Amino acid sequence: MRNLLIMLCVFISFSALAQNEMASGKISNPKGEPVSFATVAVKGTKITAVADADGSFRIKAKPGQTLVISAASYTTRDYAVQGLTGNDVILQTGSASLNEVVVVALGQSKSKARVGYSTATFNTDVINKVSPVSMMDGLSGKVAGADISNVSGTPGGSTKVVLRGYGVIGGGNNQPLYVIDGIPLSDGTVNIGVAGGNGPALTDYGNGMTDVNPNDIESITVLKGTSASSLYGSVAKNGVILITTKKGKSGKLTVALSSSFNASIVGKLPDEQTQFGQGWAGVSDITQNGSWGPALDGQMHPWGATVNNSQLVKPYAFQKNSIRDFYDVGTEYNNTISLSGGNEKTNFYFSYGNVTSNGILPGNYDKLQRNNFNVRTSSTFGNLNMAFSLNYINRHLTTPAKFSLGGLGNDLFNNILQIPVDMRIKDFSLYNNQFFNTDNYFTPFAENPYYDLTQNGSDQLQNRVYGKVDLTYKFTPQLSAEFRVGGDFTNANTAIWNAVNAPSPGSWNAGNNPAGSARQPDIGSYQQQSDYAGLIDGDFIVKYEKELNSNFSLDALAGVNYYQSKTTDQVTAIQGLTIPLFYNLSNSNSPPTGANTSFEKRLIGVYAQATLGFKDQLYLTVNARNDWSSTLPIDNNSFFYPGANLSWIASNTFDMRNGAISFLKFRAAYGETGADALPYLIYPTIQQGNIPATTGIPYGQIFFPIAGINGFTITPTIGNLDLKPIITKELELGFEAKFFDNRLGIDAAVYDKQTDGQIFNVPISPSSGYSALVENVGVVSNKGIELTLNATPVKTRDFTWTLNYTFAKNNSDVVSLTNGLNKVQIGSDGLSGGMEFDLFPGKPVGVFYSPAPVYSPNGKIVVDPNSGFPIVNPDKADIGTSERDFVMGLVNSFSYKNWTFSFSLDFRKGGYFYSSTADITMFSGNAAITTYNNRNPFIIPNSVNQVDGAGGKTEYVENKTYIPETSFDAYFYTASNKPLAYPMRLIDKSFLKLRDITLSYNLPAKWATPIHASSLMLSAYGRNFLLWLPKQNAYIDPEVSNLGNDLQSEFGEYSPTGPTTVQYGFSLKAIF
Amino acid sequence: MKWKKIILVFSIAALAELSSCKQVLDINQNPNVPSTDQATTPLLFPAAEISAASAIGGEMAIIGCLWSEFVTQDVSSSQYRTFDSYNVASTDLNTDYNQLYTGALNDLELILQKTRAAQDWNYNLLATVMKVYTYATLVDMYDQVPYTQALQGASNLQPKFDNGQDIYTALLGSLDSALNQNFSAATNSQPGTEDYIFGGDMDQWRAFANTLKLKMYLRMVNAKPDAAEAGIKSLYDANVTFLTSDAAITQWTATPNKQNPFYAQNIFALNTPSNLKASNTFIYWLMKNNDPRIVDYFGTATPVGVDQGNYLSNNPVYKTATTFVQHATDPVQFISGPESYFMQAEARERYYGGDQAQSLYNAGVSAAFAVFGHDASSYIAPGGAYAYPVGGSLDDKIDAIITQKWASLPGSHSLEAWFERNRTGFPKSSLVYSDDAGYVAGEFVISATSVIGNVFPKRIVFPDNERSRNSNTPAQVPITTPVWWGK
Repeated sequence: MRNLLIMLCVFISFSALAQNEMASGKISNPKGEPVSFATVAVKGTKITAVADADGSFRIKAKPGQTLVISAASYTTRDYAVQGLTGNDVILQTGSASLNEVVVVALGQSKSKARVGYSTATFNTDVINKVSPVSMMDGLSGKVAGADISNVSGTPGGSTKVVLRGYGVIGGGNNQPLYVIDGIPLSDGTVNIGVAGGNGPALTDYGNGMTDVNPNDIESITVLKGTSASSLYGSVAKNGVILITTKKGKSGKLTVALSSSFNASIVGKLPDEQTQFGQGWAGVSDITQNGSWGPALDGQMHPWGATVNNSQLVKPYAFQKNSIRDFYDVGTEYNNTISLSGGNEKTNFYFSYGNVTSNGILPGNYDKLQRNNFNVRTSSTFGNLNMAFSLNYINRHLTTPAKFSLGGLGNDLFNNILQIPVDMRIKDFSLYNNQFFNTDNYFTPFAENPYYDLTQNGSDQLQNRVYGKVDLTYKFTPQLSAEFRVGGDFTNANTAIWNAVNAPSPGSWNAGNNPAGSARQPDIGSYQQQSDYAGLIDGDFIVKYEKELNSNFSLDALAGVNYYQSKTTDQVTAIQGLTIPLFYNLSNSNSPPTGANTSFEKRLIGVYAQATLGFKDQLYLTVNARNDWSSTLPIDNNSFFYPGANLSWIASNTFDMRNGAISFLKFRAAYGETGADALPYLIYPTIQQGNIPATTGIPYGQIFFPIAGINGFTITPTIGNLDLKPIITKELELGFEAKFFDNRLGIDAAVYDKQTDGQIFNVPISPSSGYSALVENVGVVSNKGIELTLNATPVKTRDFTWTLNYTFAKNNSDVVSLTNGLNKVQIGSDGLSGGMEFDLFPGKPVGVFYSPAPVYSPNGKIVVDPNSGFPIVNPDKADIGTSERDFVMGLVNSFSYKNWTFSFSLDFRKGGYFYSSTADITMFSGNAAITTYNNRNPFIIPNSVNQVDGAGGKTEYVENKTYIPETSFDAYFYTASNKPLAYPMRLIDKSFLKLRDITLSYNLPAKWATPIHASSLMLSAYGRNFLLWLPKQNAYIDPEVSNLGNDLQSEFGEYSPTGPTTVQYGFSLKAIF
Repeated sequence: MKWKKIILVFSIAALAELSSCKQVLDINQNPNVPSTDQATTPLLFPAAEISAASAIGGEMAIIGCLWSEFVTQDVSSSQYRTFDSYNVASTDLNTDYNQLYTGALNDLELILQKTRAAQDWNYNLLATVMKVYTYATLVDMYDQVPYTQALQGASNLQPKFDNGQDIYTALLGSLDSALNQNFSAATNSQPGTEDYIFGGDMDQWRAFANTLKLKMYLRMVNAKPDAAEAGIKSLYDANVTFLTSDAAITQWTATPNKQNPFYAQNIFALNTPSNLKASNTFIYWLMKNNDPRIVDYFGTATPVGVDQGNYLSNNPVYKTATTFVQHATDPVQFISGPESYFMQAEARERYYGGDQAQSLYNAGVSAAFAVFGHDASSYIAPGGAYAYPVGGSLDDKIDAIITQKWASLPGSHSLEAWFERNRTGFPKSSLVYSDDAGYVAGEFVISATSVIGNVFPKRIVFPDNERSRNSNTPAQVPITTPVWWGK
């Protein structure tokens, strides 16, 4: 560390070296208008400078030297320096796309024209427009073919990014590879499931990518296709997000300040019925956690527990906004200050970012504090360039506990949704009040949500360091070598606590209530977890670049890569607290239980790539890579994959200048990637005896040792000594065209991708002795189309209107499953015989396989004539997929003089999700749908009874059995009406969101100059604040999930996740 | 030329790196769990015992309790409505079925391989008894299950199902073989405290094995009366010893994750520990007979019950119903002491003209009372509520024996009560519902919410885990069809 500091000091001192002779001038177009921000470079040197907004530039150059001047939309030209001043240069308008440079695989930058695959690049303005805390959040709905969602409304939650649909569906990670300045970023999640916890829901502590400070980012490039990402090897199986950070520029010291504040309020909440109050089965019962009672009458009624012979009284009337009022206004401060500068030999960039976010829950129970420090330098010594970067992130996250180890106290939102609609939730805020405490909260079936909020929680402190060293040596102008090594190391410490409580004997919740039901005590628990994730990645690359002759150019590279990742986790937990409110591992009658795990993976790759160019028209790139992975069988761990792409700039072949077409390029790319497995899927093992929670009744487990004896059992998953890598092959075709002097642009792509040999823990017949077998099974196909349209309908001196439209449609299908499998289950609602989330051959990836009724041959529902309820079909049915029909986004931006106004819409159509919020509100009779037929007895529409007709023939007669009022709750509950209640919980996840809306004002110089600022911008913005949902979705924002950010999260939300938020804010950006 | 040297150095370094690749990449042995080579019998056996106990004495016992009409679903909660209405889906017992095959049976199979190879006949007997007990329970529930082709791992992913009778025959054969080994050979190891049931007491294990044979032969009395008689007579001819106390796991403690599995599931972790309420079928019988165990089962001498399966009713009395009493330390019995006496009584009654039957019956009732510290002598004395019907028909006697056995089985061992009713039809079925004036206390009633009509469930549907993964799974059989030995 000390050495690093010394190096840093050296680098910075270089930047302070004295200035040399400077040449200055002005750049303009043929009409005499200034060309802003052109890049000026001295030919044959590394000296560059950037012109200012008025086209003026200053650069260290002597008369006689040649300057290379380039600017977007203009043709690059060489200019011989005339004198130290007065160098007026005129640039001809040219094709923007020819000069656009993109960063592609391995951190190499390349002219966009040369690449034969689709890329999409976004600069810092777009990323930071609405001051997001997580770098991808600002891009939701703006990238064709990228499905970007924030999966929770709590600060610090995860962001999910899916490129071109789900391809590699096994193996547990469907997220893209994030690469910062050439080095992969560790993007794991610390998702904590408590040993013995209930159900599959996870507490969301965010994924690794969300730690990066968006203000430090210069640009983000999205590489969606296999061809584009294949040089990165198997870690890039789901595509790559390339992040280029801000660098220092030679010139004077620049100080940039970015500050934002926003307030958040709760977004979509479930729509409640307003007609019926507390009770069950149509009868008033003041103990019940639901609104299945009589019609509301507005009269004063006693309610809740009888305490010391007294009882509370309130009107039996609907409480409007009861849930909404539970929530608070969240606040978020997001500040970054950066210093950058340098000279022609050395530059540096330093930044400090700080986020303080307090979510919408009352009090400080959902809070994120993050500090980002960032330093980067780049220095040139003769032919050697050294770049260095170091980031330190300190993050403190507090969230409500999602779990309990036994007892009631679990989920906050779940408990809120079980409060009858005639009660005001905020009334319970005094959770120690004699009427609302553990003894006397109105129901024994749920817990006071304020108790949950204040007494059960979780806290995570995370420290992370990532950075790199990059050495490039130029042997000759054509040949260079680059050595780069980077690391990313995270330590997180997490504590989770659940309070102990029990209703006092004889109290309301000990069973002394009209329902006669006792409440299970909360036994209390405390868990400590420490997690480490480390990643080291190194590359050695040799590059060769040469103009072969006037027609042909060649650039080629070859390299070797080493990648290593390791995670270790230690969990220790106690259950059954002896002393209330004391959270320490000593505080239990039973010894703490603990576990530690570690996972390590190494990979070595060699790769090569060559691009042959012909006359700035045609570029052919071929590439290949071979990987050796530690996770595959040791004697068969090598896999090879090639790729090629072709780019033809037709507008350079045929002169189209005089027509409407200003640029036309066709692309074709074919690529393969191989993906390895997760670690440790090869060899057979035994494991400590641990009788898992049953699915039928998901509670109660038995862990060894028992009575001082340890026991081990054969691991029920069979390893596979012949495991093979997953191979993806993708063909992509596309074109880019620009019309009317670049006023209209189109970029279109079609792709066809096949991923073969998916690695799954395939469920097998338990009578084999095992429940799963690790295998390569199945082919998944992804086919899709992506379209991006850019237009500038209006452009005058003062007013500009630009719009950007994206459209994407992706079909992910399971083509086949091998080994005689007809189904692979990837998720479920955790209840036996409940909703499954499955893969079936010939169907889309992710099918909801639901309990279903029996239908007569005429398609009518067969019901039991005694109860009027449908008969359960022994076989479940496919009732929909999570896959969307299509997504589109529209960004409109208007600028008038110094004002800019923009808004973006995100429309995602089709697909379903399972809603646990729907489940709990239907169960409790709070959901609007539960007033079906005004809660009068009804006959299930289109229902029949099955009878034995003449000669033993089965016949169907019209059903005349009513569902009585007393069975209404049963009708809407999954346990009692599986065939119809389950499908009711599958909700259309379409939405249209007004993602963001911004009004910015660039303060004029007369404001900026007095404070020595070169630029000053004020913005007001709103995020996610309009949401349109289909009528069926009366429950929740369909983007949420508490099942992580993987394919499993497409199931929906398990255990109500809580609402998302709507944010309003303003920001100030200043450059000094 | 300087850069050529540099390239050379880098190339050599790269080559050196690649040649050691294999070593660098050989890190895929899971450090978090031992390899299968490290498995030993004393390490596997406790896990196998607990695995069997957790399924049979856990969730499966919940079905046993409900279908033996000891308890019924509370009207104010809904956890076990599907079970209490006989509405069992193929997914309902997936996990228990899974646990028995991938936990207990697979571990026992490895133990059997190891003990045969090592000629460790002591442990071979322990593992055989546990295996036979577990398979027999599966047959008693599902009738057909995979046996001959089961537990072969990846080499047979679609094991065929064998019929129950063949499995019984094979199981009895393997018990005989395990009992006839050389237990004095020096190759035998001495099991110790890792055997939760008997702490390695081999005499007790032999008694367990013989009592298990007796139980299996008795199961056959309807379907294979000749084989049953021959088998039982051979036991008596050989003068074998039967169990006089429980073959049970009693090491459960109130510690989380180390509790009785039925308690852990139904009480400890459920938000409403009062799902299982007294069934009127059982408590009317206990009250009629003034049975002191009513306090042990329900915590009060005057419990309030719910009529079986009537959880949709609005009857306000049901809301005050009494909860079934359970403890974290309740044992999980495989065969209980009283059960052993009752089986012997039945065998004596059926094949030895009732010789010693009455005293064995009395020993059974006394042992069942003694579990809770009660004295049964006044109950079994002539004229007492449970006096043996000495002058009655064989049916009356079997009725008395099986009904007393039934009354001894609430809790983790209650599956046995349901099996025995399926075999014998005792306690008798009632013609009217238990709220009818003409109802006879203790007679079984059809659940008010039965989805299978006016009949009792006799088996469990094949588990979804097999149906969806094994194409050799037979077509689903209605749960009203008896298993092969059923009546």
